[in-house]
Amino acid sequence: MTGGDDLTRRTGRGHGPPTGGATRSTEATSGPAASYAARRRVSLPVGTWGVILLVATEAAFFGTLIASYLYLRLKVSQWPPAGVEPPDLTAPLILTGVLVATTLPILLAVRAARVGRVRPAWLLLLGAMLVQAAYLGVQIHLFGSDLDKFQPTDNAYGSVYFTMLFAHHVHVLVGILMIGWLLARLIGGLTNYRLVAVQVVAIYWYFVNAVAVAITLTQVSPSL
Amino acid sequence: MATMPAPLARQRTERLQRIWEEPKGLVGWLTTVDHKRIGLMFLFTSLAFFAAGGVEALLIRTQLIRPDNGLLSPGAFNEAMTMHGVTMIFLVVVPMSIGAFGNYLLPLMIGARDLAFPRMNALSFWIYVASGLFVYTGLAIGSAPDAGWFDYLPLGSKQYSPGPNVDFYTLGLIFNGISSTATAVNLIVTTFKLRAPGMSLNRMPLFCYAMLATSFALVFALPPLNTALIFLELDRALGFHFFDVTKGGDPLLWQHLFWIFGHPEVYIIILPAFGIATAIIPTFARRKMVAFPLVALAEILVAFIGFGVWAHHMFAVGLDTITTIYFAAASLIIVIPSGIQLFAWITTIVTGRPRFKTPLLWIVGFIVLFLLGGLSGVTFAAIPFDQQLTDTYYVVAHFHYVIFGAAVFPLLGGMFYWFPKVTGRMYHERAGQASFWLSFVGMNLTFFPMHIVGLLGMPRRQYTYPHGLGWDGYNLVETIGSYLLAAGLLMVVTNLAVSLFRGVPAGNDPFGGDTLEWSTTSPPPSYNFAVIPRVTSPYAMWDREDRQADQRDLAGPAERVLDEGHETPASSVLDADWDEILEMPAKSWSPILLAAALAAGFTMLLTRHYVIAAVVALLALVVLGGWHWKEPQEA
Repeated sequence: MTGGDDLTRRTGRGHGPPTGGATRSTEATSGPAASYAARRRVSLPVGTWGVILLVATEAAFFGTLIASYLYLRLKVSQWPPAGVEPPDLTAPLILTGVLVATTLPILLAVRAARVGRVRPAWLLLLGAMLVQAAYLGVQIHLFGSDLDKFQPTDNAYGSVYFTMLFAHHVHVLVGILMIGWLLARLIGGLTNYRLVAVQVVAIYWYFVNAVAVAITLTQVSPSL
Repeated sequence: MATMPAPLARQRTERLQRIWEEPKGLVGWLTTVDHKRIGLMFLFTSLAFFAAGGVEALLIRTQLIRPDNGLLSPGAFNEAMTMHGVTMIFLVVVPMSIGAFGNYLLPLMIGARDLAFPRMNALSFWIYVASGLFVYTGLAIGSAPDAGWFDYLPLGSKQYSPGPNVDFYTLGLIFNGISSTATAVNLIVTTFKLRAPGMSLNRMPLFCYAMLATSFALVFALPPLNTALIFLELDRALGFHFFDVTKGGDPLLWQHLFWIFGHPEVYIIILPAFGIATAIIPTFARRKMVAFPLVALAEILVAFIGFGVWAHHMFAVGLDTITTIYFAAASLIIVIPSGIQLFAWITTIVTGRPRFKTPLLWIVGFIVLFLLGGLSGVTFAAIPFDQQLTDTYYVVAHFHYVIFGAAVFPLLGGMFYWFPKVTGRMYHERAGQASFWLSFVGMNLTFFPMHIVGLLGMPRRQYTYPHGLGWDGYNLVETIGSYLLAAGLLMVVTNLAVSLFRGVPAGNDPFGGDTLEWSTTSPPPSYNFAVIPRVTSPYAMWDREDRQADQRDLAGPAERVLDEGHETPASSVLDADWDEILEMPAKSWSPILLAAALAAGFTMLLTRHYVIAAVVALLALVVLGGWHWKEPQEA
């Protein structure tokens, strides 16, 4: 299938108008056809709605985590408690800046995929994934060196500090796995399903990047 | 309709049947993605758990039949009480209302052929089954959760609850939450995107508004619960200190998180029941709902305001005055949308030409019980009154009127109402009415005296009470009532089970229903609708011209037949304009495999084998990758 016009064909056998001009978008199995299906859409596809709701429930989860952090913090006079040094400012802020910067290649990858250009989309996603993997590597290292200084079992500060960071890192890992899966799929070219998947993974990543900012600001807040 | 099916029409329905048919037998059920079969599996599983929760309730009531009774030990009583609550909330009402009723009916009411994510729907069911069995494994090995369904800290901490009992609770509920979240997301996306082209939001049945509001509440209410459960499990398993005062933690954090979930949960439980009431009333009152837009808004408003009232469960824990006053005020406001709905139902019945058949009887019973439960609920907004009566049987009376009377009665009415649609046969009318009266009397005998013993000071959650406090007679009546209630419920089950084989054939539309599920055959075919229905009002079945146009389309131009594959249309969110035609996924093993992997993972977490749990998580990821490898057009 080269173009997309074939996707908007008559329903029924020859009589009557096409079904409101609706596209059989799931049949799009080439870059141009997938791009055509995407342009024909008048509202967000079901996959995108699915990830929006996933992100909504996840946002409520992180919101509760941060609220719990603040709740525990406001209950005590000294935060972090005696014996625990205040969090370092530089490394977390720089790292978050780097992670948030990957928003740009992902955004561009979505644009490229939407016009059916699978190769630039693939390279942009790969670039983003490499930066994200490096970010996660450094974060795991910092997590380990934090654990050398104090433990989650020491006090409530340690408990909420490490739980919050761990939850965030798990989300970064899931995002990296999702991009890895996309890269593997896009080798076989673009289809409607994969184009929606690019948009879905992108929305998930915009969310993870926003969470990174919120979590980092909470994490370093005692030192601000 | 009355016209003979033209050969062309028969050809097309046979073609659709071939495309949508699933394998028969066990394999068919294990791999199904059909929302109707999944809905039925949700129904039967939740009924099984309903029986278990009912037995637990009878054990509680039998223990309390007289003072100083020794039927249950204190420990066994705590387990029965906790399991009753956990079962009824998490394993019965929510899965039955959204998993069974929402799943089965929502696509039929909006003219769709399946949910937006059929395989995720199957996953949701298998996770639900596995999580229910997970929690009940605790009971089977003698370590059932025993710190109450609210699991207050420090009672539920490792120090005071050293066994695995509470771990079954924390891990089981996290596991169960995945299922509810998945169903909620599925129902929302289905409502937004899969409505038959032409069914703009203002033409959507009120039942669907209720399901939508419930699903949104679930999406935002479960994360606080999950956070609390994760904190608790980390405290218990790894020695963290979220709730440990000596290390800077706070047990009240649990209560806040739990009730930020817990109060919206009350509306999650009751909103589907509102939806069922608004589906049944117009049919039997033979008129359109009064104040349709107001009722739709009220349903959504209830779900929304429900998030702002949680601390009225905590008036007795020592919050500051400003906080308690705020929550008291919010609790009063929520009466307004509930009142709007109540008056709309009553007005519709009174101004219609009501036929008091079994389904409507259950709904009238529901209105009475909801009024009583609502009125006793408002009294808690009076802070001193609440502080006096907290932890007494008055509270137990109130929430059973709301949860049993107002949430379960419509579910039972709904079972009668849609029984002919699902089975193709009629239930027994007189037995149905008798079972209603028996249950109604039993329900009031069980729970009304609890108001009085509560006011007399009888504390809840106690395994026994001494003689001579004036509570004995009331407790005896309550226990007798509970057995009457159980008899009424058994009568419902017997009626439906016998009618399944002996019932009179029902036809497509035995009650003159107003929504689209009545336009298709009973039981509906696997493709739901041969023609994607035309919709010009929220009472699609009462628009005869549209239904006749559908029949003409099937025999003629087939503009809205969509029989080239597993197809259903997607439309725009507000106006429901034609958007695209989706190829839906067919049967799949992935959901049940993924649920099994998750069950293994949670078991490993319970037994503290973290490395194996990580390996199982990897396996789950592999299954997930395989699930998404095959694309719809390749099916």
